[in-house]
Amino acid sequence: MAYQHTPSVSLYRVNTALSPYRVIDLTAEIGGLATMVLAGLGAEVIRVEPPNGHPTRRRGPMLRGDGASSLYWAQMNAGKQSVTLDLEDEADRERLRLLCETADFLFESDAPGVMASRGLDYDDLHERVPQLIYVSITPFGQTGPKSMWAASDLIGHVSGGLSSLCGDPDRAPLRPSVEQAYNITALNAGSAAMLALHARHLTGRGQRIDVSMQAAMANTLGNARLYWEMDGIITERAGGARAFANRATRIIYPCANGYVAFVRVPASMIRLHQWMTAEGADPQFDAQRWAGVAIAGDNLPTDEEISELEAEIEAFFRARDAQALYESGQGFNVMICPVNTMQDIVDSPQLAARAFFTEVDDPALGRLRVPGAPLKMSATPWRSGPAPTLGQHNNQILPALTAIPDTQEADHDR
Amino acid sequence: MSSETAGAQIFDGVRIADFAWVGVGPNATMQMAFHGAEVIRVESSHRPDTFRSGGPRPSGDRTLDASAYFAKFNRGKRSVAINLAHPRGAEVARRLITSADIVTESFAPGFMSRIGLSYEQVRKIKPDIIMCSMSMEGQTGPHAKFRGFGLTLQATAGVTAVTGWPDRPPVGTGVAYTDWVATHVAIIGILAALDHRRRTGEGQYIDMSQFEASTLVLDAGVIDAANTGRVAQPLGNRDLRYAPHGVYPCADDHIGGDRWIAIAVTSDEQWRCLAQAMQRNDWLESADLCEVAGRFAAQDQIDAALAAWTAQRTVDEIEQQLQAVGVPAHRASTVRDAHEDPQLAHRNHWWRSEHPVIGELSYESPAWRLSDTPPPPPRRSPLLGEDSAYVYRELCGYSEAEFQQLMLDGVVE
Repeated sequence: MAYQHTPSVSLYRVNTALSPYRVIDLTAEIGGLATMVLAGLGAEVIRVEPPNGHPTRRRGPMLRGDGASSLYWAQMNAGKQSVTLDLEDEADRERLRLLCETADFLFESDAPGVMASRGLDYDDLHERVPQLIYVSITPFGQTGPKSMWAASDLIGHVSGGLSSLCGDPDRAPLRPSVEQAYNITALNAGSAAMLALHARHLTGRGQRIDVSMQAAMANTLGNARLYWEMDGIITERAGGARAFANRATRIIYPCANGYVAFVRVPASMIRLHQWMTAEGADPQFDAQRWAGVAIAGDNLPTDEEISELEAEIEAFFRARDAQALYESGQGFNVMICPVNTMQDIVDSPQLAARAFFTEVDDPALGRLRVPGAPLKMSATPWRSGPAPTLGQHNNQILPALTAIPDTQEADHDR
Repeated sequence: MSSETAGAQIFDGVRIADFAWVGVGPNATMQMAFHGAEVIRVESSHRPDTFRSGGPRPSGDRTLDASAYFAKFNRGKRSVAINLAHPRGAEVARRLITSADIVTESFAPGFMSRIGLSYEQVRKIKPDIIMCSMSMEGQTGPHAKFRGFGLTLQATAGVTAVTGWPDRPPVGTGVAYTDWVATHVAIIGILAALDHRRRTGEGQYIDMSQFEASTLVLDAGVIDAANTGRVAQPLGNRDLRYAPHGVYPCADDHIGGDRWIAIAVTSDEQWRCLAQAMQRNDWLESADLCEVAGRFAAQDQIDAALAAWTAQRTVDEIEQQLQAVGVPAHRASTVRDAHEDPQLAHRNHWWRSEHPVIGELSYESPAWRLSDTPPPPPRRSPLLGEDSAYVYRELCGYSEAEFQQLMLDGVVE
């Protein structure tokens, strides 16, 4: 079939960046954020769900205590459409193939081989839909010794190595308590899909993208892997500090009502001294000396000197609130910031001033306050929208698909 | 790829004037450089990229070309030296921008405007330019000029508060974590804008706040707090849906440290497989434990028993035994493990690159593989100002005499 554009014509989409493109979303938890971002940029994203609903419709947190008002679903499916197809049934699998003929992207996250067993693999579809960009997202990749290993978000963290840099030294390596590995992997998949879209301008064809969660997480190691390869140093987790070769630098300090993050870099020591002085703290440390202390190399301060300095800084922070430290410290150009909780983010004056939060009318959950644009584009603004109800767009999308096989038969006969 | 396009790269003919520095911007433009975009880092030895002073580097070499950390973020690019603080520096930058398709920058808001290179100023000389600013907290708002970097921004962005043990202060991730989040939001945005321009001829300005972009990975944490007031807490390695779920000690050590294995039981079936592997018939016979609610209630005892079991075995044994029966289990890889990981090796994940100062070293590759347009091996990262003559002469249109004069005047530095 020749490559055909099938631009969407909904009025509210014409000023968005990706309005001509249709995305088929078959992902489980590992990919939903990728297609959510594409939907925000204006692509028409169609969630294909089993008739009893995508499993994450039942995933918490819930808005109400009913087990059927998932805020996770609302977040990850904002602005998408929903159709129901039973991929155990060949007639529905054929409907999906027909749907793919109208699409530019397909995202899937099944274990390697599962899509092939349904006749929905890249090779099955590519011949029929050459323009389709086929994005597969898995824990380890499509091939290789671990490609069939059982995995989860936690396995993503540990297999890439990030956990070894994260956590207190006297306890186990750690992961963040929200599912970061899945979401970072999804954003990688979004980048890859956009590369392939531009490749299609060059070649006229779609292609297969193989995204690995392990590889995505292995790319978050900062300079630590380089220190192993170059100097033979294995950087280890260092608690609330920067894991930096064998010289961890403290980041987290307690304050009066929580915690702040502050990194002692030479460039900021004079400004820190000025700030503490202005606040009446009478700092004792020698600002000139600390400003000249290299982080690495010769003339490093002793552990005792560092402890003494950090104790003095900590005493200053402990007497003050996080937000007050943020406002006043930044006024002195000191790189300090609060350890924000989710509530602090909701209450952030910066996010309020930029109208980051917006409201949508969710057909199932009512009016919701939702995070809005992760980037502001002047000509093609972000589009916020509610998540779809189960099969909400069946009547719009599915009837058109059944007509196509007859046409194709006719083409064949000719 | 068809024969007509063989050897062509995705971004052939696309030029990026890259004023961004440190992690996010350079990482984003590097992904485009891998695929043929001509990315020109605008640098200055007067105010060098912080990463040029970072490590690791060959022993004793403090020069600005010796940082492997800088090299990691700047493969495939060119470097031009322009002193933007010099009155004529901005003119050079304007000429470069006139030849470019995309401008990226991550200065504190206000700087580009002060040197006459705000989007409004730039679009007058290049109407269809795509310009992407990538500051900490965006171009507007009361905190627009607040300073930071990935190590502290992860605290602003909510990651630190949910990373830690319930009975201890939060710790955060130990790396400049948000760098690897915001970079992808920038790539997606820039490439969406470039696609829009291909179709409409219209350029635009992208104001990306690293703070706002990074909240995307907080899962449902922000929407939950915004609508219910619930605040996600650090759980150690436990999970709200799965039990047991943790990282447990092993019998062996890695060189210089301790060994740990992650085990995540994400279904009742996996629980039965784990119990069989551990020969815990009492667990198999317990109806309570065969459902997740029962396992949550008994989490402390299960974790203690699991830790005692893993502590008797090597990490290799446990990985093989549990993966053979479909239980998610993997060592807590050290950086050395990641470097030597057989799966990453299978993907050829670490790309080797030769550099005249740093020598031969391997660097990360993208987490994706493209079947049809894989990139050729990237050029090594540039020395500071290595391509100045090319950029001033070929792209900015200065004569050799003018270029020499700009060098004497301290613009090229």
